[in-house]
Amino acid sequence: MGACLDLFGSFALLLAFVCAIYAMVAGILAIRTRKPLLVKSARQAGMAVCGLIWIAFGSLVYLFFSDSYWMAYVVEHSNRALPGFFKVAAVWSGQQGSLLFWSFILSIYVFSVLFVYRGKHPELMPYVGVVLAGVQLFFLMLNNFVASPFHVLGAPGPAGALRMASMPDGNGLNPLLQYHEMVVHPPMLYSGYTGFTIPFAFALAALLGRYPGEKWIHLTRRWTMIAWGFQSIGILMGAHWAYAVLGWGGYWGWDPVENASLMPWLTGTAFLHSVMMQEKRGMLRVWNIWLVFTTFLLCIFGTFLTRSGVVSSVHAFAQSSIGQWFMGFLIVVIAVCLVAFLKNRDYLRSDNQLDSMVSRESSFLFNNLILLVACIAVISGTLFPVLSEWVRGTKISVGPPFFNRVNIPIALFLLFLTGVGPLLAWRKTSTESLKRNFGWPLLGGFAAMIVAIAFGLRDFYVSLCLLLSVFVVLTIGSEFYRGARVIASRTGANLLSAVGQLTMRNTRRYGGYVVHFGIVLVFMGICGQVFNRDKQMEMPPGASMQLGPYTLVCQNFDSTPEPNADAPNYTAERATIEVDRDGKQEMMLYPERRLYASNQESGTMVAIYSTLKEDVYVVYAGRSNDTGQPVIHAYLNPLVKWIWLGGVFVILGTLLALLPNSQPVLVVRAATQPAASGAQPAVARITRPEGHD
Amino acid sequence: MTKPRRAYLAALIGIALLAAAIPLVVRAQQTDRAKRIGGKLMCMCGCGQVLTQCNHINCPFSGPMMKELDARIGSGDSDDLIIQAFVQEYGEAVLAEPPSKGFNRLAWYLPGFAFAMGLGIVVLAIRQWRSRRLSRAAAPAAPVSDELLERARKQADRETEES
Repeated sequence: MGACLDLFGSFALLLAFVCAIYAMVAGILAIRTRKPLLVKSARQAGMAVCGLIWIAFGSLVYLFFSDSYWMAYVVEHSNRALPGFFKVAAVWSGQQGSLLFWSFILSIYVFSVLFVYRGKHPELMPYVGVVLAGVQLFFLMLNNFVASPFHVLGAPGPAGALRMASMPDGNGLNPLLQYHEMVVHPPMLYSGYTGFTIPFAFALAALLGRYPGEKWIHLTRRWTMIAWGFQSIGILMGAHWAYAVLGWGGYWGWDPVENASLMPWLTGTAFLHSVMMQEKRGMLRVWNIWLVFTTFLLCIFGTFLTRSGVVSSVHAFAQSSIGQWFMGFLIVVIAVCLVAFLKNRDYLRSDNQLDSMVSRESSFLFNNLILLVACIAVISGTLFPVLSEWVRGTKISVGPPFFNRVNIPIALFLLFLTGVGPLLAWRKTSTESLKRNFGWPLLGGFAAMIVAIAFGLRDFYVSLCLLLSVFVVLTIGSEFYRGARVIASRTGANLLSAVGQLTMRNTRRYGGYVVHFGIVLVFMGICGQVFNRDKQMEMPPGASMQLGPYTLVCQNFDSTPEPNADAPNYTAERATIEVDRDGKQEMMLYPERRLYASNQESGTMVAIYSTLKEDVYVVYAGRSNDTGQPVIHAYLNPLVKWIWLGGVFVILGTLLALLPNSQPVLVVRAATQPAASGAQPAVARITRPEGHD
Repeated sequence: MTKPRRAYLAALIGIALLAAAIPLVVRAQQTDRAKRIGGKLMCMCGCGQVLTQCNHINCPFSGPMMKELDARIGSGDSDDLIIQAFVQEYGEAVLAEPPSKGFNRLAWYLPGFAFAMGLGIVVLAIRQWRSRRLSRAAAPAAPVSDELLERARKQADRETEES
């Protein structure tokens, strides 16, 4: 069966390509002729494209699991001894497979959109279908004609004709990718990247079709949040993978691939905030459309960066000509967006009015400004080496110190706005309200900073971050408390259940607060970096190392000379390190260095003892060239767990914000005047004090 | 043992301990300095990490570069001299951040320039939108049509709805 699956897969891809052309052409004709049958036909062709991509992707997965070593892509990225779990990761570990995986995830989104909105929004959906088919068409073109994963191995046969060849085993998967998180991280990140196609398609469709009002914003809000949520998880999981696998003691190295994932996240975050201005006040129509366009373009641009070889990165795919295709697509998309905008810009005219400088609207404007500046800083830093080489002919580096120096002040300003923004009222905030909402949180922030300084904290940025973090947490806490107190006093519920009611009544707003809380934890975790310590020494069995309050004792040092049932794919050298504190054993750690037989590549497996306060991070760095003794590099990294915990809150908050609001609770209010006989008791919605959205 | 002898012996032991401790302190300071300077240099293996953070197994660059750094610190070179020596050996790409001079200034100024530009635009927009609001408010009240009233109602609903 496997022998024909390559044909099956490539045929499915080819058919998907043809169907995508049909979906696009039929969609355009449907828009022009307004024939319902054409609309339906285009939609169904779009759905068929998705089904065919699923078949092709399923075929590739099957070829990996059936060890089909007559397939070039399978040979390059898998081998027989590779555990099944990692064979999943191997499917998207190379250029061709990852592009098919991109098409696969995009097709899930596209199918969902076409299915959910079938028969609805007849003025908008044909345009959406055309845009989605256009994007799919580009990726299917790559899948079919530029980077097909279904190439078979060939060898010269009799009379010079090519015949199919087969290898006994494959080259295996890159050791760095043989980590459980690598099975989840790429799907998350790709779901983020591809997910932004949906708001892009709706925005472009609304512009092209001059779809009235803010409906497209309402329709795409959840899709944007889903994409943003996936992108956030993907970024954090990538950081965790770098921390746990690369063994340099850090989680973010401002590598171009990391930066590529951050850029659309920043503009996507800006859009999620500024979109509220359009929903509530009908403002910033032009800005929002371009934010969505930019976010999508940055997804494509990031992919171009990582696949073209324009910038060097350890994470990037091998240099190939595929970058030209992405550049071409980028130019086409920009041209389409520009033409659509210029032709229909009058449709985006909005009556922007602002009552006061101190208002929610202003805070969103500043929030957008800061997020955009952060994005520009990341882009310029990432591309500057290329620009320098191009202009001056000199190669320079723009490393982590540059990004940290430029982005830390920006990030702190953003943290400040995270605290301020949600408590400002729409239209205008009075001085009294400012005092009421910000007085205590600000005092609390200053108190925390003073205490920290008294305990020896000397770093300016960390002190400021602590002040702002406490400020933000207190503002969030006060928001929950004040809202819950009103509900509790009116319904008699206890405060905790009132918090639940409050949250479910406005999931978007309170989900947003939970996300903000998560971001604060991430910031605090990053601050811990300033206090990192590390030590490297030769540690034969019995040797010990003092690292902060911990004593690391090398108990044993062993190796597995042959692959076995536990390690079928590699041999390993492993140290057994006892972690003691105050004379008591806390944990045993087993840092490893693995040698993968199939490709003769080696990789480290870091051992981490993680607590909320700090991580003891131990790397077996190999044997000393001089003495042959094992070398252990140990790090003491404070507060790293806060980053991952923050990520959990970001995800929980996003999920919460995706839930529909519960019905507003009507509360019986004591009537001020006696009600007429038989009349209903006076009821009122709970009114929101100033400062609430 | 007489008192002066005891004092002499104690002084000798003290000096010996101090002499033993000085290299340790110097070594610790050297290591800190190496970390600080190493943090300003890139590993040239292409990993994209600063010198002190490259942990590639058998990296052909980070080990020798760190040794060279230690040797230069040991010989008493100043930070600037050490960095210059590395630039001469490996080119400008060895610097972890572009020096703020010449064309490289662009990298440093661009985010600040973007911020200043953006801030200007935001402030201008806010001022313009506020003045538009104020001029509307100052205009004599025109009779309100049903259509306008309905639009205002819808806007009020939108702005006060729970979302």
